[in-house]
Amino acid sequence: MGFTITEKILARAAGVPSAKAGDELMAKPDFVLAYDFPGYTDVYFKSMKEDFGIERVAEPERFAIFIDHMVPATTPKEEELHIGTRTWCKENNVPLFERKGIGHQVAAEVGYATPGAFVVHFDGHISQLGTFGTLAIGMRRNVLEAFVREKVSIRVPHTVRVNLSGELTPGVMARDVFHHLVRTMGPASCRFQVLEIGGPALKSLTTEGLQTITGLAMFTGAITAIVNPDEERLAYALPRARKKLEPVFSDADADYAAVYDIDLTGLEPVVVIPPTPSNTRNLSDYLGLEINAGYLGSCASGRLEDLRIAAQILKGRQVKEGFMLNVIPTSQEIMAAAGREGLISTLAEAGAFVSSPSCDYCFGRIATMTEKQRAVSTGTLNVRGRMGSPDSEIYLCNAATVAATAIEGKIADPRKYL
Amino acid sequence: MPLNNLRGRVAFIFEEEDFDVDQIVGVKNIKITDVNELASLAMSSYDPDFAKKVQPGDLLVGAGNFGYGHPHYPPMRAMRHLGIAGVIAESFSPGYWRGEISMGFPQVSCPGILKLVERWDEVEVDWQAGLVRNLTKGTELPFEPLSKSDEQMLLAGGLVPYLKQTTPPSELTAERKGH
Repeated sequence: MGFTITEKILARAAGVPSAKAGDELMAKPDFVLAYDFPGYTDVYFKSMKEDFGIERVAEPERFAIFIDHMVPATTPKEEELHIGTRTWCKENNVPLFERKGIGHQVAAEVGYATPGAFVVHFDGHISQLGTFGTLAIGMRRNVLEAFVREKVSIRVPHTVRVNLSGELTPGVMARDVFHHLVRTMGPASCRFQVLEIGGPALKSLTTEGLQTITGLAMFTGAITAIVNPDEERLAYALPRARKKLEPVFSDADADYAAVYDIDLTGLEPVVVIPPTPSNTRNLSDYLGLEINAGYLGSCASGRLEDLRIAAQILKGRQVKEGFMLNVIPTSQEIMAAAGREGLISTLAEAGAFVSSPSCDYCFGRIATMTEKQRAVSTGTLNVRGRMGSPDSEIYLCNAATVAATAIEGKIADPRKYL
Repeated sequence: MPLNNLRGRVAFIFEEEDFDVDQIVGVKNIKITDVNELASLAMSSYDPDFAKKVQPGDLLVGAGNFGYGHPHYPPMRAMRHLGIAGVIAESFSPGYWRGEISMGFPQVSCPGILKLVERWDEVEVDWQAGLVRNLTKGTELPFEPLSKSDEQMLLAGGLVPYLKQTTPPSELTAERKGH
């Protein structure tokens, strides 16, 4: 019986010849990543010093911090947190990425998505590094373990394999694919397991689209997602990689907890209705619903392909009067590329409010919706209150649907504008 | 040294699958840090008299994939403040599970629990035997064993004491002379 890519990566990180799902190991993460947030990094830094006597970390190149929340700071207290982060990184010689964009995306851009690497973070959306064959796990507060000691305890997870086949039609995006997986497999289908995405449809899915799918894995219950990287993903990741590692791949006879074959042929755009990311519905059932605001951005969808399709739809058209459309590219690199392509001017001319990369629109710091208002969003989830009043509503959908809805002020099918 | 058995009444049963624990205090109250205030708000939309009825040692029961979504810490801080000693559910969402185990708050994954108990039954979690017992009805069910590290974390009383107890100085990330 062969091994999954996950078992191979964890065996290497634990320094053992082989590992099987269920084994309990102590594994050394290749990279320990975090964003600064009150009660998280500030507490870790304090605890490292006061509880464990760690004044400086050894191997600072294993660590990286991203300042992507509370950007820009709007209160002195927020800026004070960032000062603490900058100071710790400087004292420890740990790389700091500030105002470069949302950390999960930036991590891939700057080489932490090293194929074959084991990465930990406290936030689960780091799973999107799995696009490049990196095993990236959000450990929540337990990531303190990776800050204070070299190895973390981990039970090698079982893997659920999903084989995607078929091709997407215009106006149907990776975002729809992910929510279709939740609808088909269920929100608990991969609980405590790894979601491994494969199959012939991978060739036609863009790298950006795969980042969307792997980044949302937690809503299937998975602890992360991973892909056996093909030439295109390796061509992106290897030249940027911060560590020389041999990429690894699942064996053909690897042992999977479950295998799903999902055909994307005929998939229609979907919408995820409030208040949970488990409520996938056909977009066609919600057409015409009055909407007040739209958000295109987040670590899940705010990449070039999302901006391109939104610009294609909005070119020469106008956002409906009174509709608040916020477009936030996921990273500075993406924003600059979008600028060079003319996408930013198209979106601005159409009436979109375009802002610099930040997590704040998605995690709810910028939360302006009042009761009874509704938004369409490409954010990560649609729980009550994430964009303002708990009595407002969030409908998750793809970037094209956000753009089409902005034109009509009602949930609209993007395909008629393509 | 084994974990102390949990023993108490079933203070509430959350029958909803994929239950979002933030609903316990209400999303609008998630940013409150004062534990007394949180406790006074907890369960107001489920059972307004909850705080008066609950006794130290009581347990919560949940359905499948308990803690789905982006769970926050305040709801269970409030529950512990009211005396709740642990949660038994059909199954748990990983993010919630990790977060609460790291707080030293016992979580018991027990498929079938919803059929085993009714509200206010007295139950016991026997860690050694691997059983949840309904003492009121005289029935029992096996639960899924904890991983070694989860068990050690509960024994230690949470993440920081666990790391202190299980990490020799040579394995700290600290820079050392000659390193």
